[in-house]
Amino acid sequence: MEAFYDLSTPESLVMEGITMKTKISLGSFLLAVLLTIPLLAHHSFSAEFDGTKPIQLKGTVTRIDWANPHVYFYIDIKGADGKVENWGCETAGPGGLLRRGWKRDSLKVGDEVTVNGYRAKDGSKLADARHITLPDGRRIFGGTPGDGGPDDPSAKKPGA
Amino acid sequence: MLEHFCQWLYDSAIGTGIRESIWVFPIIETVHVLTITLLVGTVAIFDLRLLGVVLKNEPVSRVASQILPLTWAGFAVMFVSGFLLFWSEAAKSYANPAFRIKLLLLALVGLNPLIFHFTIFQSVSEWNGRVVTPLRARLAAASSLTLWACIICAGRAIAYFQK
Repeated sequence: MEAFYDLSTPESLVMEGITMKTKISLGSFLLAVLLTIPLLAHHSFSAEFDGTKPIQLKGTVTRIDWANPHVYFYIDIKGADGKVENWGCETAGPGGLLRRGWKRDSLKVGDEVTVNGYRAKDGSKLADARHITLPDGRRIFGGTPGDGGPDDPSAKKPGA
Repeated sequence: MLEHFCQWLYDSAIGTGIRESIWVFPIIETVHVLTITLLVGTVAIFDLRLLGVVLKNEPVSRVASQILPLTWAGFAVMFVSGFLLFWSEAAKSYANPAFRIKLLLLALVGLNPLIFHFTIFQSVSEWNGRVVTPLRARLAAASSLTLWACIICAGRAIAYFQK
């Protein structure tokens, strides 16, 4: 540790041809990379969605893409003016949903659902579905654990 | 035509099976990512030897004969696992800009060793023991390292453009 502080002495900077400075930079870089890894679960929530733009969508399911790495479903929403818009909802993958009791046939085309989520950053008609109220009344978390989004159950609360 | 082929792959039983699986997709994905170490790791060792950074006292041909079989093994696993992932997402991948860039870069990175082996590597006996190899060999090594880094980035970016 002494050599670490004694940066002014040239001999202490050189270790087998690699300077201490290089080692410190490499070390910091590695640390930065390691700290970033948990944010890249699959893709982080914040890469695509805006946590400051919550949205509630109520409508009829038109399509379900039961697919890796993310399940998508689409719903028709009737606006106040009677105009129908089709919205996409992104959730975790099939494995994640099954663990929460959301089976492949829990949601079918024609079902009425309520989705509480967050809008896509690009402003498209796409939302990260954080909570979905299924036709049987169950309210299920739809996000990917560890994606860093709101209500992430795997995220530790500060001080907790 | 190409788009139809991608849609056909996507709709096929195997493509659908992988896409809708609980374990198969994540396992293939994990293998694909882990094998980067075998493929790109060994490529990097050889490239760094050409650049005179590591294994300086080892003849280039000896490094090549020990390292490159592992590279090929890595490539085989990467190709199969990558194709299976593509199979399950083909219709989405077709329109994915990151995927298109990745394929383009893969074509380039394939061309690189082809040129290398049929040109400058033919005369390896003349520069086998040199720490710093001829400029053309070093250029091949530098472009290989750069291209592979870009391919990994493009591959990672696919997830961000998949709709």
